[in-house]
Amino acid sequence: MNEGIQKEVLPSPVELIRLLDAVARAQDRKAFAQLFAYFAPRVKGFLIRTGLAESVAEEVTQEVMIAVWRKASYFDPSRAGASTWVFTIARNQRIDRLRRTRSRTADHLLDLSDEPDTPPSGEDIMIMAEREEEVRKALATLSNEQATIVKLSFFSEAPHSEIARELGIPLGTVKSRVRLALNRLRTLLDRDI
Amino acid sequence: MTINHHPSDETLLRLATGALGAGPALVIRVHLEGCSVCRERLTRFEAVGGTIIDEMRLAPLAADLFGRTMERLESMPSTLVTEPGPRKQPDLGIELPHAMRHCEIGPWRWLGPGFKWSKVKIAGSPHAKVMMLKGKAGLYLPAHGHTGMEFMQILSGSLSDERSQYFPGDLDEADDEVNHRPVVGEKSDCVCLAALEGDTRLHGFLGRLLRPIVGF
Repeated sequence: MNEGIQKEVLPSPVELIRLLDAVARAQDRKAFAQLFAYFAPRVKGFLIRTGLAESVAEEVTQEVMIAVWRKASYFDPSRAGASTWVFTIARNQRIDRLRRTRSRTADHLLDLSDEPDTPPSGEDIMIMAEREEEVRKALATLSNEQATIVKLSFFSEAPHSEIARELGIPLGTVKSRVRLALNRLRTLLDRDI
Repeated sequence: MTINHHPSDETLLRLATGALGAGPALVIRVHLEGCSVCRERLTRFEAVGGTIIDEMRLAPLAADLFGRTMERLESMPSTLVTEPGPRKQPDLGIELPHAMRHCEIGPWRWLGPGFKWSKVKIAGSPHAKVMMLKGKAGLYLPAHGHTGMEFMQILSGSLSDERSQYFPGDLDEADDEVNHRPVVGEKSDCVCLAALEGDTRLHGFLGRLLRPIVGF
């Protein structure tokens, strides 16, 4: 997918966590610049894929990165990886933009209330990293059609019609295909809940 | 507390992707407060979002975006604005879930014999169809169906319908194929938080009862 950028050295999930920690503890600008270089083009790509106009996507991307800087101390690496956390921020900022409101929504407030009480242990972080790795593997195990269904769900408010178009199946059968894909994903993910 | 009824995978996925409306999302967040299994499931769906970000095709950025972002950061106060205190809420006789602390909640209002409701407003989402309902022990609610999804979380007491029994912590999803006649358990009054999705309306007598009073 990203042939052009695979050549650059991408920060590992552990490195991304370290960079967020440096921002949280010391407002480290160099670390933030690296986070920006990694996340901003991806978040903007994601926002465009969800249907935001290019200029709006860029504005929202800036808001997402500002939130990353300001909320870095609320990031809890025992709960989610850096990319997952940034995804939830992008999701919330996008919802805010769509609701055309400047007031902060309950979703944001929930995020803020979730500051970790105690710094997570190395073991906690390892458990989280394993879980995220399992999610990656599970996605890779899905058939192309099923992976497409799951991913399209992230890009569209009304994914069913987009899924029907993309897969060339009647709208009437989408619901059952989504259910099948999610059942399969669940059996893959639930192994160790 | 054993929880027997959970949100479906579709619903948790929609919460993770941001596609679930504010009303249903509030009801599910209340469920998540008491359900570690669903919290874990949601985290996994959100991790799919993390993977999507990692694999995303890069969009070109304006050359000065980083510089402008840093400028904005410098002009901001260094500390994060702290969360406003919870809203003052009426005493409804039950402890409200944490997830509802910023909602504007109305007093109990009469809806029928032994049947009360309270309006729940979500900041930024004035059209969300959310309410709390309270029925006295043994009350038969009017039979009804829905044109779309209804989400209901039991806060206290119990309910049963043709499909099952619901206790505190349980979350029921009813779609347009469900026609039910909920009955409040005999032992105590029941309070639940309910949300209708989008332009969902209720069929039958309950719909006719609610529409002029509740507005949906």
